[in-house]
Amino acid sequence: MLPVTFSRVFRMPLYEGIGLTEKQAVVIDIGAAYTKFGFAGESGPRCIIQTEVKCPETKQVKKVLHYSSKEDLYDLLVEFIHNLYFRHLLVSPKDRRVVIVESLLCPTLFRETLAKVLFRHFEVSSVLFVPSHLVSLCTLGVNTAVILDVGYIEAVLIPVFEGVPVLHAWQAQPRAAEAVESSLKALLLSHNNDKEDFPESAIEDIKVRTCFVTSLERALQLETVEPPPDVVYREGGTKIFNIPGKVREAVYEVLFEQDNDQISISTMILDAIIKCPIDMRKPLAENILVMGGTAMAPGFKARLLGELKYLLQQPKYSSRLALKTFKFHKPPAKENYVAWLGGAIFGGTDMISTRSLTKEAYLKHNNVPDWADLSYNCREEDKISL
Amino acid sequence: MAFFLHPNIVRYNCTCGSLKPISRIYFCRHCLKIRCGYCVCHEADSHYCANCLEILPSSEARLKKNRCAACLDCPSCLNTVSTRSTNITVQNPDDPNKTVTRKAYYLACGFCRWTSRDVGLPDQTVASGGWPEREHAHAARISSLLEHYKVLALRERQERERKKFTPRRSYLHFSDKFGLTAVMARKRAGLPPLGGLGIKDEAGSILELTPSVASEEVDSLPAEIYTKPINLAHVATLSQRLAQPEFQTELVSNLFPAHKHLMIKRSQRCRSCEHNVSKPEYNPGSIKFKIQLAAYYYVPEIRVVTCEPLRIGQECQLIIKLCNPTQHQTAIEFLPLPSAEEDLEERHKEIEEKKEKQAEKKNAEKTSQGRDDVSVLLPSLSLSRQLSVSEDPHPATVKLTGEVILPSSSVLLPPRDDAAEYDDAGDTYHFQDNPKVVVWRKANKAAVKMVVVPQDSATETREVLIGFVMKYTYVNTMASLEQKEPQKVDLKVKVFINVGKTVGSCI
Ligand SMILES: Nc1ncnc2c1ncn2[C@@H]1O[C@H](COP(=O)(O)OP(=O)(O)O)[C@@H](O)[C@H]1O
Ligand SMILES: [Mg+2]
Ligand SMILES: [Zn+2]
Ligand SMILES: [Zn+2]
Ligand SMILES: [Zn+2]
Ligand SMILES: [Zn+2]
Repeated sequence: MLPVTFSRVFRMPLYEGIGLTEKQAVVIDIGAAYTKFGFAGESGPRCIIQTEVKCPETKQVKKVLHYSSKEDLYDLLVEFIHNLYFRHLLVSPKDRRVVIVESLLCPTLFRETLAKVLFRHFEVSSVLFVPSHLVSLCTLGVNTAVILDVGYIEAVLIPVFEGVPVLHAWQAQPRAAEAVESSLKALLLSHNNDKEDFPESAIEDIKVRTCFVTSLERALQLETVEPPPDVVYREGGTKIFNIPGKVREAVYEVLFEQDNDQISISTMILDAIIKCPIDMRKPLAENILVMGGTAMAPGFKARLLGELKYLLQQPKYSSRLALKTFKFHKPPAKENYVAWLGGAIFGGTDMISTRSLTKEAYLKHNNVPDWADLSYNCREEDKISL
Repeated sequence: MAFFLHPNIVRYNCTCGSLKPISRIYFCRHCLKIRCGYCVCHEADSHYCANCLEILPSSEARLKKNRCAACLDCPSCLNTVSTRSTNITVQNPDDPNKTVTRKAYYLACGFCRWTSRDVGLPDQTVASGGWPEREHAHAARISSLLEHYKVLALRERQERERKKFTPRRSYLHFSDKFGLTAVMARKRAGLPPLGGLGIKDEAGSILELTPSVASEEVDSLPAEIYTKPINLAHVATLSQRLAQPEFQTELVSNLFPAHKHLMIKRSQRCRSCEHNVSKPEYNPGSIKFKIQLAAYYYVPEIRVVTCEPLRIGQECQLIIKLCNPTQHQTAIEFLPLPSAEEDLEERHKEIEEKKEKQAEKKNAEKTSQGRDDVSVLLPSLSLSRQLSVSEDPHPATVKLTGEVILPSSSVLLPPRDDAAEYDDAGDTYHFQDNPKVVVWRKANKAAVKMVVVPQDSATETREVLIGFVMKYTYVNTMASLEQKEPQKVDLKVKVFINVGKTVGSCI
């Protein structure tokens, strides 16, 4: 068979005009475990997929965040983002705007490599980096809240007051899905002596489908209460094993147990509020937003509220906090894509044209400004405003 | 075939640095350079449904959120569901005493036996369509949030354009150390907060978004969770939930079928000349291409025929087969790999060339302004990017574990002749071959001898990897503005061969 070739190649007609109507921007939230990907201005992500790639040569699955070097990360991101565009969004990345929802703790190496991949490999026209905690407020229409994100690797909290993050009060703890899963694995191994290991996917499946966050009353006497029923788990069709009810109830305790430093997910909220000026405390305590996939576990919020009320009675906090109520927000989204939705709303406005880092600017300076870089964030006009 | 094209046996070095088998690379006939999936620009060409093969124009695909209107996926196993029909008896509307039989349609999955009746979807009276669509519960709220922030963003922009020195408070104000104190001070003084979200509209009209109200109540655990046994078959898995992100249904009994996700045909474009190197036919039923500049059609192919057992430090004979896929005779010559310095020099030369080209392009652009015909001839000019982006080279690291003694003379290969494939009468070509180099030839193919010496470095992986430069003559038949006649050019490509495992114990 000979190839059919044309001596002259014409461009396809462009359905999405050039400059006439702007191409729909895409919004990416690359989580440690799951990536949320979709279009700006839409009400939900088009897909939520695991942040991993299958190496085309070795067929091995590799987590994008388990990169060994800058070059490795570059390749992983190229492969991963290529799939996002051509398998899930079905649009060309070239000359299209991108909104990146990123954690404030995102390492510089990661964001710089990501920008490089987007601009140099995919030739996107602009990138808008938005901090996940801040944009999540766009899903509520409020501008004061304590925002707690419990994702895969860590729980990160930042209070925001009147639209300004109270940076010195931020909290981060490695208490999230990963901790829950390793506790689950350890417990299961101790109850099934004949097993040597459980695949990560099975552990996550067991966690999501059978485990829950128990109430504070029961948690205080876990050893004595009547455990919930056991569950028979079928692994790969034929093998079965038993998941004790005790385990189902106990795995999430790692998030709430106070360690030697007396820190847990619940103390993060109180500790953050204490670090804020007195006038801010009540409004913050009455505007709590909990997001991230782990917060979707049944009973999570009820437990958190129970703990907050309980801790408030303890001497450590009763002497320092004169709070009475805690109130939680209900965003118009599932917890695991709240930050994405915030980015999609923010990116659906004019901000995308006024705040983005354009290709021209990137190529000129060849770097991505950091949040901490005042020259980028505080423009001339702001410095004068005070 | 699968073995010969195995990605790890013979690999070509793409212009971008990647190593790929010949089946995975392109040859841009315009730049005369090798390109690969990594360094070309991919574009979404046409959207289609893999189940019913319907093509959707991209504007329509966008409107339908990349979903096929007709086909549905099983929410349980994510395969396509089919429509089943049964007969049901219903009361005759005209005469309540009589019954009539009617056809009723429901959805059933042939893979996991899920049916639409499981989730309580009423049967349909028509065979296709009509299934109820689930609405996103928060759609209205989200669109009012979006409107609200659009207004705010617009106002911020206008304000900034009106007065250069307007104070501004808003989201991306991140490391603003003084901001917070300022906000607090204003609050204490009873002043309205500045800008940002707290902005009050002087006209007091447009912004009527009700902010979310936090509540002291949260979803509590159902009491029966401590006592009721659970059946895992009734609890949706995470992948079933995430398949419909906006719903993430927890119970299998609430899983609804989803419209099938579309797929795309992609075209590939050379990034430096913007010509297509691959463009599929529009019709999803067709596996043909309008343009397919696969290297396989333009670059001589190398296959390993045999190799003597590889012993470290010993000379072993390697026989490779060369094949000329083009319509023109080619002369193939083997050269040793260039040194690192030579490589660097080459790259500099390339960068210079690129710069020159860009300057040329700019000039051409200037002169072409106002002349429609030129912009049609050179599509890249009319849509030229202000800044051409270049990606850093992407060198693959290769550790050679074998020396190679290359054939001293070049090998001529006649053009490809499809008729000759069936002609056993023998060749009509008479080449004065060096018998030390060419061991066999037929039509456009020839087998060539070379010598491999596995090095000590092969002890570790036991695999012998050699590399050389293949220089081949290529006849460029692309007519360009200044060049109408076919032109003969010499092209080079680095080739790496994994000859095989070493044998015998190492001393
Ligand atoms: N419904 C659910 N119940 C319990 N855990 C869940 C649920 N949905 C997602 N998760 C868990 O949430 C984690 C991912 O949360 P996410 O916020 O997406 O993390 P990240 O953004 O760090 O990738 C995963 O470990 C997943 O198992
Ligand atoms: Mg996250
Ligand atoms: Zn390449
Ligand atoms: Zn279809
Ligand atoms: Zn099914
Ligand atoms: Zn080209």
